[in-house]
Amino acid sequence: MTQDRHNDVTITEVDVVVVGGGSAGSTAAIYAQQALPRGRVLLLEKANVKRSGAIAIGMDGLNNAVIPGHATPEQYVKEITMANDGIVNQKALLAYAENSYSMIEELDRWGVKFQKNETGEFDVKKVHHNGNYVLPMPEGYDLKRILYRKIKQCGVRVVNRVMATRLLVERGRVVGVLGFDTRDGHFEVIRAKSVILCCGASGRLGLPASGYLYGTYENPSNAGDGYSLAYHAGAELTGIECFQINPLIKDYNGPACAYVTGPFGGHTVNAHGHRFIESDYWSGHMMLEFYRELHSENGPVYLKLDHLAPETLLEIERVLHRTERPSRGRFHEGRGQGYATDRVEMHISEIGLCSGHSASGVWVNERGETTLPGLYTAGDMACVPHNYLLGALTYGKICAEQALAYNGEVSLGELSGEQSDQIDAEKQRIFAPLSRPNGVPHHQYEYKVRRLVNDYLQPPKAGHRMQAGLGHLMRAEQELAEVGATTPHELMRVVEGQFIRDCAEMAARASLYRTESRWGLYHYRQDYPAQDDANWFVHVNVKKSESGEMELLKRPVAPYLVPLRADELSSYHRLRIQPKTEVVAPGPAGAVAQAVSA
Amino acid sequence: MSDLPDREHQKAVQARVVGPAQASRRFDVPVVVDVAQCIQGCRVCIESCPVDCLSISPETGKAHMEHDECWYCLACEIDCPKDAITVKIPFLLR
Repeated sequence: MTQDRHNDVTITEVDVVVVGGGSAGSTAAIYAQQALPRGRVLLLEKANVKRSGAIAIGMDGLNNAVIPGHATPEQYVKEITMANDGIVNQKALLAYAENSYSMIEELDRWGVKFQKNETGEFDVKKVHHNGNYVLPMPEGYDLKRILYRKIKQCGVRVVNRVMATRLLVERGRVVGVLGFDTRDGHFEVIRAKSVILCCGASGRLGLPASGYLYGTYENPSNAGDGYSLAYHAGAELTGIECFQINPLIKDYNGPACAYVTGPFGGHTVNAHGHRFIESDYWSGHMMLEFYRELHSENGPVYLKLDHLAPETLLEIERVLHRTERPSRGRFHEGRGQGYATDRVEMHISEIGLCSGHSASGVWVNERGETTLPGLYTAGDMACVPHNYLLGALTYGKICAEQALAYNGEVSLGELSGEQSDQIDAEKQRIFAPLSRPNGVPHHQYEYKVRRLVNDYLQPPKAGHRMQAGLGHLMRAEQELAEVGATTPHELMRVVEGQFIRDCAEMAARASLYRTESRWGLYHYRQDYPAQDDANWFVHVNVKKSESGEMELLKRPVAPYLVPLRADELSSYHRLRIQPKTEVVAPGPAGAVAQAVSA
Repeated sequence: MSDLPDREHQKAVQARVVGPAQASRRFDVPVVVDVAQCIQGCRVCIESCPVDCLSISPETGKAHMEHDECWYCLACEIDCPKDAITVKIPFLLR
């Protein structure tokens, strides 16, 4: 048993603290440390940087690579504007698109192995509805190791197993992070000139249909920590109602990986073995068609690979069974199934918040700045829609550069009374469950909150249902006073339960506020089934008001840098494959009949 | 016999103030450690786990799964220098 040191306080002073050592955070820390060789860069991680974040076990490809000769930054901005029904900050998308290729070249130098063709050029594949953006990394299991090696090489100071619970704020500026060690329980105060939040998705929000709390699509340590941290500090969040919902392997809950298998000839089919969607790229409209098919007489839905040659299947297995979610091989085998003989049964994931795949996150601009001075954020928790892994890396670097520029203008200062008050209040707040060792255990609390999310917030959404759910979620806030913990580990889970509840409340309120439907299944409201551009071609932002209430507001969509025609803007609305209609061609009737029967 | 609705009300009031009671149950957990292979003093798997669900068992002095909180990601299994770990898919998913 580890010694409980929860009465001890450690105070550290640094230039930049990066919270979360996944893809975005590792990159931010590496670039900050490289730019400040003698500076104090601290990378804080709830798990261990060696194996943390969404790509703990690597990644099989870049899903949004903008590579000269295959796509232009403008084409990419257009594609994502379409995929996200127009509600984007194109400046932020463009900053990604313009900076991401140099990040690929950097990764290439660091030793990440991308798929190249015979002439040594990047072997880009088409998965999106319109353009070519997928760059396979068949040996992507090395990616996390490579980032870790880089962190060590540059001399970044890493603190593992410390969980951030609140940000330290001084007169509206973010000046540090508060948290505790999840093993020995000591309290951590990290004072910094600037803070870069890279805490990943809110991936433990909905309850997987299996009922297993940790059987989530996202790494379950990504519990929405960053969303809650930013919210309580007073930052604005946006697109929360644009949920993340993914097509996954049923029960296993990992991606079926149409992105990997698509270029080899794999695709999604219904129970009859027929295709029903034009594109397997994950968008709200694709998910709506998926949802409809799944719940129609044509369900279930499958990933079809059984028509591929044995050597192709071997190649697919070599990628899928070694990278991202490598245990899927034993999942299939445990059921006596294989890609050559069986289709992979798919279903729809629990809901989550994740800008890496959809658009829910902290409101950021093209410099990674939030609405609070001193606070930057990158990766799945920062709203740059469909940003994926390469977006996390690219914005990690952007945040590091911007935070260091900001640091030149501010000083750390003394520990003020305002800060001391926050430290005392936070110690009281987070350690309270330790005084209730016989209180409700964390897993029961969490199960209940996440079950409420499924019952009331999972699309299709409806106003009365979400209002009722919100009432239960507010009751769950009171119930936190009944939850107890006996160890720092359990305390971590209790605090995660609070993050999850905060995210659920944001999800309910933002979804209630936007009285239209948009983004296909992500925000499909039965009581407002139509998209209403006249009133809702806006961002919906959420923030904590001065009085501590959750407040909703509209923010205009900035004028586009890359203009789109109306029919282009709705191109993702036409993903369902239409049944073939017989065209009566001019000419003898017999010829038509022959053509049809052929 | 007391009035039933009244009795129910009294119990409801009592239920709100009465203290907690506990029960425990067994879990089939996904991470299985071969104690004979596992090296005493090695903590590689414990440090690898993204959800910190492994620890040293006070009984055997070797690694074991302490909390049923597994993402079946295989980090522990891949990083174990002795190939002493087998991760099963959690029963609810199998």
